[in-house]
Amino acid sequence: MSPQEMEIAEDTQETMEEMYVNMGPQHPSTHGVLRLLLKLDGEVVTEVIPYIGYLHRCHEKIGENRIFTQIIPYTDRLDYLASMYNNFGYVLTVERLIGIVVPERAEYMRVILGELQRIASHLIWLGTLGLDLGNFTIFMYAFREREKILDLFESVSGQRLNYAFYRIGGMPLDFPDSFLADCKAFLEWFKPRLPEYDALMSDNIIFQKRVQGLGKLDAKTAIDYAISGPMLRASGIKWDLRRNDPYSIYDRFEFDIPVGTSGDVWDRYMVRRIEMDESVKIVEQALQGLPPGEIIGKLPKKLKPPVGDIYTRVESPRGELGFYLVSDGSEKPYRYKVRSPAFVNLSVLPVIGRGCLVADIVAILGSIDIVLGEVDR
Amino acid sequence: MATVSSETLMEQFYNAFETWGLPLFVPQLIVMVVVATAVLIFVAVSVMFMVWWERKISAHIQVRFGPMRVGGWHGWAQSIADGIKLLIKEDIVPEGADRLVFALAPMVVFAAGFAAYVIIPFGPGLIVSDLNIGVLFYISISSLTVVGIIMAGWSSNNKYSVLGAIRSAAQAVSYEVPLVVSILGVIMTVGSLSMTRIVEAQQGVWFVIPQLLGFLIYMIAAIAECNRLPFDIPEAESELVAGFHVEYSGMRFAIFFLAEYANMFTVSAIAAALFLGGWHGPLLPGWLWFLLKTYFLIFVMMWLRWTLARLRVDQLMNLGWKVLLPLAFLNMGITGLILVLRG
Amino acid sequence: MTPDEVTEAIKSQFDDAVKASEIKGVEARMDIHQEKSYEILAALKGMGFDYLNCLSAVDRIASGELEVVYNLSSLSQPTKILVRVRVPREDPIIRSVVPLWSTADWHEREAFDMMGIRFDGHPDLRRILTSEDWVGYPLRKDYQDERLVPYEPV
Repeated sequence: MSPQEMEIAEDTQETMEEMYVNMGPQHPSTHGVLRLLLKLDGEVVTEVIPYIGYLHRCHEKIGENRIFTQIIPYTDRLDYLASMYNNFGYVLTVERLIGIVVPERAEYMRVILGELQRIASHLIWLGTLGLDLGNFTIFMYAFREREKILDLFESVSGQRLNYAFYRIGGMPLDFPDSFLADCKAFLEWFKPRLPEYDALMSDNIIFQKRVQGLGKLDAKTAIDYAISGPMLRASGIKWDLRRNDPYSIYDRFEFDIPVGTSGDVWDRYMVRRIEMDESVKIVEQALQGLPPGEIIGKLPKKLKPPVGDIYTRVESPRGELGFYLVSDGSEKPYRYKVRSPAFVNLSVLPVIGRGCLVADIVAILGSIDIVLGEVDR
Repeated sequence: MATVSSETLMEQFYNAFETWGLPLFVPQLIVMVVVATAVLIFVAVSVMFMVWWERKISAHIQVRFGPMRVGGWHGWAQSIADGIKLLIKEDIVPEGADRLVFALAPMVVFAAGFAAYVIIPFGPGLIVSDLNIGVLFYISISSLTVVGIIMAGWSSNNKYSVLGAIRSAAQAVSYEVPLVVSILGVIMTVGSLSMTRIVEAQQGVWFVIPQLLGFLIYMIAAIAECNRLPFDIPEAESELVAGFHVEYSGMRFAIFFLAEYANMFTVSAIAAALFLGGWHGPLLPGWLWFLLKTYFLIFVMMWLRWTLARLRVDQLMNLGWKVLLPLAFLNMGITGLILVLRG
Repeated sequence: MTPDEVTEAIKSQFDDAVKASEIKGVEARMDIHQEKSYEILAALKGMGFDYLNCLSAVDRIASGELEVVYNLSSLSQPTKILVRVRVPREDPIIRSVVPLWSTADWHEREAFDMMGIRFDGHPDLRRILTSEDWVGYPLRKDYQDERLVPYEPV
């Protein structure tokens, strides 16, 4: 009987003393300042209670006091490991609210940078998951690949992290001349790396035995908890906003949507692993189809959207990133709400974390792939 | 130390003390202290080398360089620098900790590891004491490290330390059984527990060939005994933040660290002696062969650490009791059968 | 179901509870009264909208009300729903939708923490982003704190 199948009887107090162990807020494996209160029965976890808010930086309140363009650098710092995508989601929301059409070249640039960012974000996830399970080497390899992507981003935007590169209506700067060649070189370098990582991770029986069957999330619970992104796909539901609710020009590209079966940590691992391959495909197609032209449309100096509200969602590397903007006709938003995927995905941890061992909590948390900047805003 | 070439030297040494009117135990004591110091120095230097080597190996596996500056050539003096740093650190004892036990625990762990060097055959005649229960001595002494670990975890007054200590004790005890049973095949073949006798019996064929299964089981159990990845749950940084020695810093932590690497050397040395032919080998002197074989096994242990992920504690127990132990018994059974049939 | 069908169905079932409605592309928007909010949302869930994307709270200080906004969707149809409910500022209580969508748990806690809206029937309504002993509701327009400095653009 594996620990996951163990029945947690309500009256275990008579035989075993239940211990409360605090994991965090400072802990090497909670991926940030997250506090998990674990109720332990010996080595088995009977309850997980997450406490968040340690990184709350009043993002939404700040948004109410800035004009629309000024919020873009703040969105970077939401999910700081996938900054490009936060920018993408935000500018898309404002554009849909106002009704701006973005030039073709800018759309292609957005997709290229967004998918490269997805690869970079998944690489961090891969490295830290391996690190949490004891495999230090994959961490180094994944970060080496990510360095190359950050070099590309630095050549484009001047920043390695927190780029603030998207603008309402397009992009601020065009790609540098060397970008196309550099990007193609990176993709050629990157494609054989992923099978190398398989030898270290997926093909290794120790890793398989650690994560298979762990933290199962069935489809019904996933929908009930509004799980999105790779976690939802791992539970067997083929739902990807790039395909099912297309935004920008994603409907022009061919890519597969990997789907898991049982929603355990192994499936979430495989979904993200295959997503990296798919992102490479999208970038290649986008690079081929990149048209010349303008990169930003004509916009009024003071951007004043019409009165109204809008909710727009994009498929960030972590799941459904949504922005709910309420405008009262002035230059600043009346209400600016961020629906962050990590916040929603983390709420299911008490459900899937019951009945496992302490060592497994770390693996499950790694598979949810949270970023505290997004959880707490 | 009893070597043929210096026997007369030892007799002269003892006689000199007798002429001065001192009882016999005085020169014996002096010899013991000198030998112990020599072994201690060897252990210290060896551990410092291993720490540097591990950093280099891990670096090259991870596409990095490792230490490059301290001392000039590839940072060879890094270990010395680290040792000095640990020595000059503040001695922190956590509040509510049992001070005496807290101070004794690293010493117990180190002493148990160090005592095992008595029976390591570095070369023909180069053994501190050729006990005729050599292997048994090693097995019993190495069990004492568990006591030290539990002392450390308990006295730290920290939930995480206690958890880590209990896990470590369970792991050590679980893996000692297949460790011992895997050696039994060799002992049965030789018919003696004495280390020199076992090495001498490998003149023709090293025991790794007939006892391959025993060797593999021994290596896996040895890695678990040393708390190395993939069996390093007691020290898992990302889970319980270093487990039983989380509250230790400075010199005390250095002793734990030293003991872990000394332990690695011991198990590899025993494996080299029992399975890889000890000091046998062409051309080079015996002690050099022995060291080469030992360090090769240490290299394999380090290689595994930086490649594999960690086993969970229940998987670890399963492996020890349900896989390694039956295989070790199988090995023992087959060896016994072959010995009986051979007559 | 198309947005028109959804709006028709809700209006025919709860016609006096729906204040206003409009269709925007695939999105059916409704402003409803507070009394029947749970029943209307349950009916929407029954029509197949089992995915609660977002639950936001908006401070409508000009009319002395707080607004709760529900964004619903379905994984099997393209129609989206946006439901807005207003509650009075002095006594902001609304029925919790945790029994319908478990994800509302954390969203409602955040709405309570930031705006002070009480959710009747919530299993564990306590602050989530601020510390447990925080006083005041930070996202309200009239929130006072000496550390809040008005932003002066350069």
